[in-house]
Amino acid sequence: MTPSISYQVDQILRGSIPFWLTFFLALLSVVPMRIEGFAIVTPSLVTISVFYWSLHRPNLMSAPIVFLLGLISDILTGVPMGLSPLILLLVHGISASQRLVFVGRAFIVTWWGFLLVGAGVAFLSWIIACLYSLSILPILPVLMQFVLSMLVFPLCAWCFGFVQNSLLRHI
Amino acid sequence: MALSQGTAWKFALPLKVVFQRFAFLSLICVSVALLVLGKADLVILERVRTISTDALTPILGTLSQPVNALNKGIERVKELATLVEENEKLRRENERLIRWQAVSRKLDQENEYYQRLLNALTDPLVLPITARVVGDSGGPFVRTLLLGAGTRDGIRVGQAVVGPLGLVGRIAEVGRKSSRVLLLTDLNSRIPVILQKSRHKGILVGDNSATPKLEYLPINAQVSPGDRVVTSGDGAMLPAGRPIGIVSSVSDGQVQIQTFADWAKLEFVSVLRYDLPGLTDRATNPGDLGESQLSN
Repeated sequence: MTPSISYQVDQILRGSIPFWLTFFLALLSVVPMRIEGFAIVTPSLVTISVFYWSLHRPNLMSAPIVFLLGLISDILTGVPMGLSPLILLLVHGISASQRLVFVGRAFIVTWWGFLLVGAGVAFLSWIIACLYSLSILPILPVLMQFVLSMLVFPLCAWCFGFVQNSLLRHI
Repeated sequence: MALSQGTAWKFALPLKVVFQRFAFLSLICVSVALLVLGKADLVILERVRTISTDALTPILGTLSQPVNALNKGIERVKELATLVEENEKLRRENERLIRWQAVSRKLDQENEYYQRLLNALTDPLVLPITARVVGDSGGPFVRTLLLGAGTRDGIRVGQAVVGPLGLVGRIAEVGRKSSRVLLLTDLNSRIPVILQKSRHKGILVGDNSATPKLEYLPINAQVSPGDRVVTSGDGAMLPAGRPIGIVSSVSDGQVQIQTFADWAKLEFVSVLRYDLPGLTDRATNPGDLGESQLSN
């Protein structure tokens, strides 16, 4: 028996929540917060979101969606196009392939996982940006951004968990 | 029947995995290709970027409004606490400024008189377009701003952008309804400047740090901390004499500038429509020519 159309639409809409949520976070990270120096070290909320959803709902955060989100993020922030898709795809690849290690474990394990992945991609993105501009860019802002991302990770994960357990329970 | 379904599944599952792997790897290759192509300044990539920013800017404008309201509220509360001291400080400053105003009026008249005597040509009129800042760079690699105004408002690539305290940057990309400002502090920013007192010319070079460097100064140039730096107007892209900042440190040939602009508090900025008659044509700067000739 094929499910009714309204049921299918409902499923599709609910299934697209991780995408829209990440899209909203991409927009939010470029909104000027009017805090001294914050624009440079804004936590990479998109990376957190991609990491979380690739871990917990890899079918709703597939590689093409990650690529699209990366492109949007590049367009918004004004960095060379292709940098964020590459970084986010790597985050997605790592977390989707290692999900058996994390899912079902204590939250601290996921946090530790994000620490490793986040540190890796922060360093990699710094190297790519340096190569792209053929000069040594200041690394301190990159580290600050990484530390801030680490600090907001639990809060984001809690919100995503809430969404996952309420809106995405049956998907 | 059950058997064939089972075999279909056996094939379908690995196929799905293979397809996913293929998509993943090919998208990584596409990202790298985009990075390489971006380095070549492809027009199409820029078009994609400006069209997308045009579409996203209204959403950003709406999102930034509650943040602005909240910040204004916080500031108002902070101001309430220091109302008396603030008032006294402003009163003193006002007295000082009134004295300055008298001096400045006298100098202005004198200057005008001398210019008439020498039959000197005046600079063309500069028309500001005020635009709302709807986005910032949101990351450590670039220093840019997104504005909610574009070509339909008269903004063109290369125009100067000033905040309340001084020059902020230049327009780097422009769409119909949005534009991107390359800040003075960005790695790719180069602004022709002049030291206001000694009249030595140089180029202000951004390096992604908060203090851009002053380079290409004459060898015999004497620079000391506290010297004011303003735009020189060389290259005829920016109006001359706009304040930028002061020299903050001079150490073994490295001159660093502390900018006047308050980066955290830029809510509105002015984009300066400026052109020297005869140097820009109507296509690159439409609408300005007639207006700027008003002053000549």
